[in-house]
Amino acid sequence: MRQNHENTGRPLDRRRFLTTAALGGATIVGASALGGLDADAAFAEPMPSLDPAITKSAFAEGRITRIKGSVLEVAGSYGDQHLIQLTNVTSIWKLRPTTADAVKVGDGLYARGVDMPDGTIAADAVWVNIVNLYVTIRGIAKDRLHFTHGSHETVGHVVPDTTTASYLGGALTPDLSRVRIGQAAQILGAWRPADDAIDIARVTVGH
Amino acid sequence: MIPVVSDLAPLVCAVLLAVTGAGKLFGRRTAQVAADTVLVRVLGDARRAALALRTIGGVEVALAAALLAAPTAVVPGAATAALGLGFTGYLGYARATAPESSCGCSAKQEGPIGLLSFSRAGLVVLGGAAAATADTSWWSRIADRPAVSTVFLVAATVVVGALTADLDRLWLLPLRRARIRLFGNPLPASAGPAGQVPVAASVELLERSLAWQAASPVVRSALLDSWDDEGWRVLRFAGVYEDMRGAHPVSVLFALDRTATIDTTENPAVRVSLIDDETEELVPADVLAPVPSRTALPLAT
Amino acid sequence: MACGSTALWAGETTWFCCGSSWGPCGSAGTGACGTCQSNAHQAAWPNTSAACFSITRPDLCGETIVQRACGSVMNVKHQCSGASVCVTVSDCGPRTQSFCGEATCCNGSCRTNRVIDLTPAAFSAIGNLSSGKLPVYIYE
Repeated sequence: MRQNHENTGRPLDRRRFLTTAALGGATIVGASALGGLDADAAFAEPMPSLDPAITKSAFAEGRITRIKGSVLEVAGSYGDQHLIQLTNVTSIWKLRPTTADAVKVGDGLYARGVDMPDGTIAADAVWVNIVNLYVTIRGIAKDRLHFTHGSHETVGHVVPDTTTASYLGGALTPDLSRVRIGQAAQILGAWRPADDAIDIARVTVGH
Repeated sequence: MIPVVSDLAPLVCAVLLAVTGAGKLFGRRTAQVAADTVLVRVLGDARRAALALRTIGGVEVALAAALLAAPTAVVPGAATAALGLGFTGYLGYARATAPESSCGCSAKQEGPIGLLSFSRAGLVVLGGAAAATADTSWWSRIADRPAVSTVFLVAATVVVGALTADLDRLWLLPLRRARIRLFGNPLPASAGPAGQVPVAASVELLERSLAWQAASPVVRSALLDSWDDEGWRVLRFAGVYEDMRGAHPVSVLFALDRTATIDTTENPAVRVSLIDDETEELVPADVLAPVPSRTALPLAT
Repeated sequence: MACGSTALWAGETTWFCCGSSWGPCGSAGTGACGTCQSNAHQAAWPNTSAACFSITRPDLCGETIVQRACGSVMNVKHQCSGASVCVTVSDCGPRTQSFCGEATCCNGSCRTNRVIDLTPAAFSAIGNLSSGKLPVYIYE
């Protein structure tokens, strides 16, 4: 699977190191006698002030026009321009967590990060070609779904080992067989600029 | 050909061409539809594709007028059949080179090229061929044989309607549903080894756990990497924690039971650890936010 | 920022795109209020008008959602992490009726029904776009 992006020895050693560290010195949270927060009572309380770390975050959206090293030049949909700096701690999603090599000129993106003094955005997270469409399922085949999004007909490809489904709020499962024709669904996926189709990450259906 | 069919074919073809042609010629959304067709690739830009689509619309309307006015002439029928052949060729080319592009056929509904598009084009070829052999005008044929003509026109309307993308929800969806009922849902019931929990499901479980709540002031990225090790699923995120010496980048590692999902547990045990990216040392857990046990609960009165 | 702290509603949020954009979002338009854009902190509310309500029909899921007009300001808080974002109502949505009864939980405390939709800018400020939906509290 592409998700396990590096097949050289070193990253695996790194994983092994991290696993050992993670399991050895970890703090265990949850499944304890902590008792739950009375969430609804907390809701009725006045809101605490905003977390300053969140309000500091920057956001950018647009199509990638050029890739120069680890900097993405992005043309925003409102004529704005952004320079997105990818680092080795930037998470990159393109249908699944992936690496910078998967990002191509012409892709669309949403990025969250921090404004740098030089005008670039140091990205914490980048979602490439991600779409989240409200659709009606119009057809089902072995490897794809046909659906309408507004008046637009689109093909969504089922990607082995990646596409999942959630039924009425249930856990994400590789079982897609309960999707029905005529059903309303939310499709989270990666748009394919080459043919305007979508690779499906998850199908969420209601009742 | 059967006289009723060939004599009334000009009328049927004319109506079909007039509707689709006018749609392309005058439709406000033609430019938008054209942008999705393979014409863009052939002609180089969307404006020329729109112009081409409108020109074809004009030709269709002109042919419709000719078919109506001179039903017994060979030329309009032959031209219609030629147009249908042209459509078929265009669809074949588009299907081969850009299967998901829209056909732009009716200039209203967008959608990938499928069997319907080819059937419509085929109908134009057959209709054109039949029209070319008409030897009586459609109006005299209707006057002569009103009953048979009506039956034929109704049948033709049903066939044309069935092949129109706009009406397919009336019959195509029930048909597809019936097929699935008969032959089962073709989508995979499960991918990979049984019991395998997708990484997305583990992330979903994590993001709704106390551990996530505790780590959220530190976590900055979305999921960076994940792997399975000895029954654990390890999820790696990037984060930053601050102390008196400033901000430090850290790897935030969560380890959870790789078979757990939100269906199996509401409150998973998650191991959280922060590893300083520079020193590779474990960061003490007190940088994590207090979990709800330390949040003051409102007192019941 | 004039962003309220009085509890208004709670439920699930998803995200949607609107305004000028790329891909399938390009055809989304500027929404029911005519001002919607993906790169602004905005939201869709299921009851911006009677016409809107007749499409989203949250009442079919037992949600008697109050009407809030275009331009209303809300504070949306992620129930699990506590992160929050201030948004302006700029569209009608989500289609609550299509997902009646769907719940999203934090550590066992669940929010039911899709009651608000956020733009990518707003959603990514409190969660990850790849998560698709979040349980939230809404303040005004």
